[in-house]
Amino acid sequence: MIPALLGAQDATVRRIEWLRVVMMFLLLMSFAMYPIELFIIGHWLDSFESLIPFILTVPGLFFTIWVFFVDRSSTWVRTGFIATMWASIFVGVLGGYYHWVWNMNDIDGVQWYWSYAMAEFHGFRPVLAAMAYTYMGITGLASIYRAR
Amino acid sequence: MFERWMNAETENQKVLTFLQLFFLLFTAFGFFYFGVEHWVIDHWLDSFPSRIPFYAAVIGLPLTLAMFFTTHKAVRWPYTIFMAITIGVGLAGALFHLVYNAGDAGVSLFTISGIFEAFTDPFRPVLAALAHVNIGAVGLVVGLTLED
Repeated sequence: MIPALLGAQDATVRRIEWLRVVMMFLLLMSFAMYPIELFIIGHWLDSFESLIPFILTVPGLFFTIWVFFVDRSSTWVRTGFIATMWASIFVGVLGGYYHWVWNMNDIDGVQWYWSYAMAEFHGFRPVLAAMAYTYMGITGLASIYRAR
Repeated sequence: MFERWMNAETENQKVLTFLQLFFLLFTAFGFFYFGVEHWVIDHWLDSFPSRIPFYAAVIGLPLTLAMFFTTHKAVRWPYTIFMAITIGVGLAGALFHLVYNAGDAGVSLFTISGIFEAFTDPFRPVLAALAHVNIGAVGLVVGLTLED
């Protein structure tokens, strides 16, 4: 993204590249900061599920840094980046769903009637917060859209 | 913004207005989402600072929604300025969280160990407050990249 911004030839392209650079910078910060935040709040546990956001950080940071600073055109970079962003979207949705279900399991089991489900939506594990990864994935996909 | 998108003539203008529209949607969704999230986590208390994220949502969401239908300077400039303010709100929120955590823990922020202890207190997440910086930055870059 940075090389594309530096090489932008006209005002419209420069505006597009500025948009992409800012969004990719936010994405980069998110991939760097969320694992720190999750570590601080004690998300790193013995279970595999609790490690998923940390595992996603590895390709997430790598491809985001590569696309941001180096190259966004090579097929392997685009494929890896886009696949990671889709994984991030998927992880966010699944994370939100399982946070909700596990909140219910801690109380009276999974039951989908309104008052109970909403009470556990507000439960120990934040449902909406998990979907930050979905937001990040969509940001990444939008940033690389038609960017060659 | 809708009109700019529909009136875009060149390929670059189409990409630019599409990305702006997309990220404007993010900004609108962010104000709505963070409003809900803060309510879910019981952020609405008696104190004025605890209500700031809600005031940000109440002002930011209508301004952002208005931008979908008109980018006249009477809307565009209040919107753009408010996005800059939202960035400030996020930074101030992170600082407030840090100061309040330090107060609760009885540590000084003028020592490294005190800062670390206040930063890692999960009760008021310091980095999470920066979500408003994210939403403000996304909104701001849309406002600043609009073509006259």
